[in-house]
Amino acid sequence: MSNNNENVVKTSPLDAVKAFFGKILPATSGFFKKLFKPRRSLDATKARAGYFFVLPFILGVVLIYLPIFIDSVWYSFSNFTDIQVEVWDEELGANIIKHITGTTGVGFEHYVTAFEDQTFYQKLLASVQEMLFQVPAIIIFSLFIAVVLNQKMLGRAAFRAIFFIPVIISTGVMESINAEDFMKEEMGSGINDGTQQNSNDIINILDVQNLFASMKVGTELVTYVVGLVNDIYNIINYSGVQMLIFLAGLQSISPSIYEACQIEGATGWETFWKVTFPMISPMILVNAVYTVIDAFTRTTNPAMNYASDYSGTPGVGVAMSWIYFLIVTLIIAIVGAIASSFVFYQRRD
Amino acid sequence: MESTPVIKKETKNRISVDYEGKLSYKERLLKKISASNTWIKVVVNIFRFILMLGVSYVILFPFVSKVAGSFMSMNDVVDATVSLIPKNPTLDIYKYLITDNRYFEAFGNTILLSGLCAIVQTFVSCLVGYGLAKFKFKGNGFLFALVIAIMIIPHGTLELAMKRFFADFDLIIPISLDEHMTGILELFTGERPNITNTFTPFVLLSLGGLAFKNGLYIYLMRQFFKGVPDELEESAYVDGAGTFRTFLQIILPLSVPMMITVFLFSFSWQWTDMFYTDVFFEGTKAPWMLPNLIDEIPIHLQSEHPGAAIYEVVIHNTAGILIILPLVILYLFGQRYLVQGIERSGLVG
Repeated sequence: MSNNNENVVKTSPLDAVKAFFGKILPATSGFFKKLFKPRRSLDATKARAGYFFVLPFILGVVLIYLPIFIDSVWYSFSNFTDIQVEVWDEELGANIIKHITGTTGVGFEHYVTAFEDQTFYQKLLASVQEMLFQVPAIIIFSLFIAVVLNQKMLGRAAFRAIFFIPVIISTGVMESINAEDFMKEEMGSGINDGTQQNSNDIINILDVQNLFASMKVGTELVTYVVGLVNDIYNIINYSGVQMLIFLAGLQSISPSIYEACQIEGATGWETFWKVTFPMISPMILVNAVYTVIDAFTRTTNPAMNYASDYSGTPGVGVAMSWIYFLIVTLIIAIVGAIASSFVFYQRRD
Repeated sequence: MESTPVIKKETKNRISVDYEGKLSYKERLLKKISASNTWIKVVVNIFRFILMLGVSYVILFPFVSKVAGSFMSMNDVVDATVSLIPKNPTLDIYKYLITDNRYFEAFGNTILLSGLCAIVQTFVSCLVGYGLAKFKFKGNGFLFALVIAIMIIPHGTLELAMKRFFADFDLIIPISLDEHMTGILELFTGERPNITNTFTPFVLLSLGGLAFKNGLYIYLMRQFFKGVPDELEESAYVDGAGTFRTFLQIILPLSVPMMITVFLFSFSWQWTDMFYTDVFFEGTKAPWMLPNLIDEIPIHLQSEHPGAAIYEVVIHNTAGILIILPLVILYLFGQRYLVQGIERSGLVG
């Protein structure tokens, strides 16, 4: 027994470290040599510089976003054991609530609960419906306004200044204040005259329906258009960024193309459909996707609000928002596929 | 015998030329009026102007009514004959919002947070956008897709995970799948700091290009840099400047209008943001921010009057004015650059 012990060569920790670095140093020096090699191709240098430029984003994703993302997915599959303990806080001189949390996996239970929730289902449907309702309107409206704002006209600078006010100002807290303001107007209108007409509405749906009753126009279309007109405030507020992007796109179209059109005798209408529209079509794709994203990440979105304010198990709320996210991703894919089928890319050299 | 045209008068924009057979001014005017497309032009112009005016009205009226309401006393609010001009104007609402609801404290905190976030976000999206636009490296396309994907995933979905991540902050993936994973900070300081109720989470998210709508900023910047001709950088390289020097001395000064646009967006969206402040600020230690102005009715304005509910809306509207007033001033200075920056960017799809 004791002989065995004597035979073992005693190694100090320092030796281990030396051995370790002895092994690793040649390898690392090779790596460093490679990294700071004096002669390398311009492409390689540029590629390396490119990594430095995007480094903040890569670090952010790996260190912050990925953990949060994985956690969030995990929460939708697990139950919280969240124990709140009151702890005496020296600094504050009062009790503060401390959370001791843990999670246990439950599989797809939360998703099943979410799907069975009737309210969520309704809100989801309403949100998606509103989104699909608004997206074409916002795209058409912002394209129209951008085209008009791009022309020379009286007071153009002033109109431009006014049109971009909502982008800067009517966001976040202002959105909820505005929503409340509209509620008040409706409260103030009191008993209505039986047509279920809000005082804010610009046109009454019954009037328009009477007008179109004799014509062969579907009631759905009439309802849609009337809804849009009455929703004009929101549509204007939500189309600021899109207007800017369209305006930028319009500015990038070479004026010589328009000159050629003019010389060839094309009318304004023809020029729009044969030149402006194809040239702006990549922006339509961008804006369609952006509008969908904007509509469902908005703070006033009913489905998202319902999910984040969900009163039951926290995991169910998270599961709901993931369901919603997947549905919207699907919508974005469809919108993208439709839009990219007619997108025209000018060949650039 | 033909005489050559003679220049009679020449100004900056206009040259008047005399030539044989020139019609008198009156005759020319009559010809112009009788031309068929003149009338169409006039009608289109008037129609366009009225339309723009109408949309401007829709945008501006809510602000007008908010300002009008803010000077009203309780009696004016419930009085049906008062619509815009109050009968007994008072500054009470402003006074008590500023004193009772600590306006200036909120203003200081908000300007600090928004300024910090906007500067960091503008710079980071500039870096990342430049890296994505101008360098070919492995994973470039994937990173851009990631930027868009992160913009698509609503932060509402990640709310819970984000809150817990920053309440129990560490640098190495502290995911709850494995509760016992030790992070870098824990290794050195022995604890995981709670950094909610500070501005740190905002700055960290901004540094990683992950904060609210940063995907849009990176996208805008990337598209902008794509429009900058490569020859500019190549000539700088030939002159012996490195990649970073080229970026700092050639590219950054070029992109000032676009940077102002991004800065305006990030500053004002952070300014009115409620979502993140709600996620990261909680309890008595939370910094008092501007959107908190609508959280409570000032003590001096609370009443048992039957019209109190409507009065509350008026108070919230006034709070809204106080919140956006600095933004309006900023916008007045910045709007020229906003449109210019976007216009000159020559965004391409």
